[in-house]
Amino acid sequence: MANLNIDAEKERTFQAIVIGSGMSGSWAAKELCEHGVKTLVLERGRDVKHLKDYPTTSMLPYEFEHRGQIPEAVQRENPIVSRCYAFREDAAHFFVKDNEHPYIQEKPFDWIRGYQVGGKSLLWARQVQRWSDFDFTGPARDGFAVDWPIRYKDIASWYSHVEKFAGVSGNKDGLPNLPDGEFLPGFELNIVEKYFQEQQKKNYGDTRPMILARCAHITGNLEYYAQQGRAKCQSRNLCQRGCPFGGYFSANASTLPWAEKTGNMTLRTHAIVHSIIYDEAKGKATGVHVIDANTKEMEEYYADVIFLNAAALNTNLILLNSTSNRFPEGLGNDNGLLGKFVAFHNYRAGVSAEYEGHMEYTTQGGRPTSGYFPRFRNLLKQETDFLRGYAAGFSARRYTSADQDGIGLMLKENILNPSKLSNWMVGSHMMGETIPKESNYVALSKEEKDQYGMPLLKVNVDYDGNDEKMVKDYLEQMTEMFDRAGFKNIRTRDDHRAPGLDIHEMGGARMGRDPKTSLLNKDHQLHACENVYVTDGACMTSTSTQNPSLTYMAFAARAAHHAMKNSTNF
Amino acid sequence: MAIRESECTKAVNNAPCIKNSDCFFILRYEHLRPCLTIGVSNYLTMQRRDALKALALLTGGAVLVPSCDFMKEDILAAYRNLQVTPSLQKLLAAIADTIIPAGTIKGAADISVQDFILVMVNDCMKEEQQKVFMQGLSAFNDYSKKAGGKSFAKLTPEQKSAVVLAGFDIKNEPAENENEKQKLTRENEDAVRECLQITKRFTIQGFMMSQYIQTEIKPYQLIPGEYQGAVLVSDIKKEIIHG
Repeated sequence: MANLNIDAEKERTFQAIVIGSGMSGSWAAKELCEHGVKTLVLERGRDVKHLKDYPTTSMLPYEFEHRGQIPEAVQRENPIVSRCYAFREDAAHFFVKDNEHPYIQEKPFDWIRGYQVGGKSLLWARQVQRWSDFDFTGPARDGFAVDWPIRYKDIASWYSHVEKFAGVSGNKDGLPNLPDGEFLPGFELNIVEKYFQEQQKKNYGDTRPMILARCAHITGNLEYYAQQGRAKCQSRNLCQRGCPFGGYFSANASTLPWAEKTGNMTLRTHAIVHSIIYDEAKGKATGVHVIDANTKEMEEYYADVIFLNAAALNTNLILLNSTSNRFPEGLGNDNGLLGKFVAFHNYRAGVSAEYEGHMEYTTQGGRPTSGYFPRFRNLLKQETDFLRGYAAGFSARRYTSADQDGIGLMLKENILNPSKLSNWMVGSHMMGETIPKESNYVALSKEEKDQYGMPLLKVNVDYDGNDEKMVKDYLEQMTEMFDRAGFKNIRTRDDHRAPGLDIHEMGGARMGRDPKTSLLNKDHQLHACENVYVTDGACMTSTSTQNPSLTYMAFAARAAHHAMKNSTNF
Repeated sequence: MAIRESECTKAVNNAPCIKNSDCFFILRYEHLRPCLTIGVSNYLTMQRRDALKALALLTGGAVLVPSCDFMKEDILAAYRNLQVTPSLQKLLAAIADTIIPAGTIKGAADISVQDFILVMVNDCMKEEQQKVFMQGLSAFNDYSKKAGGKSFAKLTPEQKSAVVLAGFDIKNEPAENENEKQKLTRENEDAVRECLQITKRFTIQGFMMSQYIQTEIKPYQLIPGEYQGAVLVSDIKKEIIHG
């Protein structure tokens, strides 16, 4: 019996454990496995194999029973996830339904999740803009949160590392606040987007450039990506179904198969991590408790190093639930700040308008990206009565529609030959930085548990006055820019959506220099438990305005190499 | 019996079907309805399937839904939120076919657009909209007799068009000292108008997004081609498709 136990324990012992198989976890796994580290990847959901498990990927519109629409009863049962733009009939199977993992909204918060191998990397909007020192020095300069313990120079080469492997298309724009990267050829801006770009230059000099957004799509260097079994993006714009070409970066198409090919990765699905095991005698984490989602039985796995990449809020949940004599308030939580200083991106506002020029032109084909405004507000110095600023999306297009008057053969012929071409419709949406505050937090419920016995997460996150001022400023500034460019019929909106729907929730286990005011050090290790690394959204000290996934990927790769360099057992 | 009672109650909207000895049974297998094998649709389909399976167990194998409405006609089980009889379904097909008739290419009824309309009304509309739709559809033949002199099926194609077109313009003000019967007629005719609007919208969607159109007439391109940001409108040549 004794031997059997030893064997069983041996079988459950690895060099590294990565909790989470999505955007950041898959990068940690890929780096570790590629360098010979025996790695267990734990995923709470089901497996989703590239190609094989994309059931809708090649379906034609008529093959969807409701032509894409989510039925009323499903919306009624799932009000939270139904508010997500991508929760449609073609991708609904990749989203967590409301009752699958309940949580407590102390304030309204739409928590959008993807519990499967690959996580939300299957579903993301694939925008990948680098941070610069304008972002990393933000908290120190403007006096909020704590200073980031790293600067652009610490992460620049890791950005290059992940961009090259993931495949990023874009233009070299030479902007100090949005550094250039390893770019494959960029998609085209259309004639009205280029017109607006010129107008911006004319009206604002170099202070408010509008550029092509960089996106994680393959547009060149095809032989290199063929090694991953991936091919050129076909501009289908059906990414959320999983791409049969591997045209965009997902863990499923890229990092996970790469890790698997090394023979060093063990993937365990349906594994809900209950907590990280802390060994007081050894003064470090030794493994994880896992609940099997099917049997609900508890198992243990062991490793020298643990990467926590469960997605921002679930990473907080696991740390808070990892209690011991040494850490009664959650692993590494000596200062009581775990779960606090959560922030997000403010996507509430948008502006649309029409343009009556260039009417002899239109566009054809598909494009998986759009135009992008890097942050221009409060960039070089504080210049408004609110902190920080916003990035914004921008695009222009014309719509073809049909005259739908009347009935009969005339109607039929009209709808078969749509001939009404709209004016150019231009639109923008804001992506505002929110300020991390102690009062924006997540915590564990003491009473309520989910179906696996895990305490429910209480979410208490809200906008503040800074956000309101920023929304107002965005609407004013964008309206002015549209007006000066000659756009007509300008309309503004503020949809007052709840936080969370941005799907950019961050923080709770922030990085910092001082263990008294932060949870993680400059290398993503818990200050108080150095063999636990956190490189997903939970680690973020501030949010800046860029879509965060690229930064998580670079952090994960960097931290994996730090772990390999510093572990005596690898 | 609890399952049967609750499922049946849901299927026929509180009609006293269990005790109704006149109930007919029809065979309407759920799997005849085109459906996905994944995700949400699967989830819904599974619910229906489970319900029908439960019925099957209790009724000795036949998958049946008893008719419980006053016309003593069968109810189509696939549309459990609606009380659609085969004759109403046929009527809906005739209306859809008047909106998009056969010509050079097939029309709405040729490709059963009525079934798509019923799926959408049943699954994707709110209860109040479903009620108005069914009220209008049920009252449509009365309206047809008033506006065209005959029930819809007996009209010529030209008369059908005239009746449907007039239906979109129904605008009845309440009469002074309106009695109950007048009120009901007015409400029914308002419902006819709304039913026609819903029907037209889903007829256009169901026709254009049908297998027939997307594979035979205007093959849908899953790969739309590389983006071109400045194409002269005058350079785009499109072959006219005749309806």
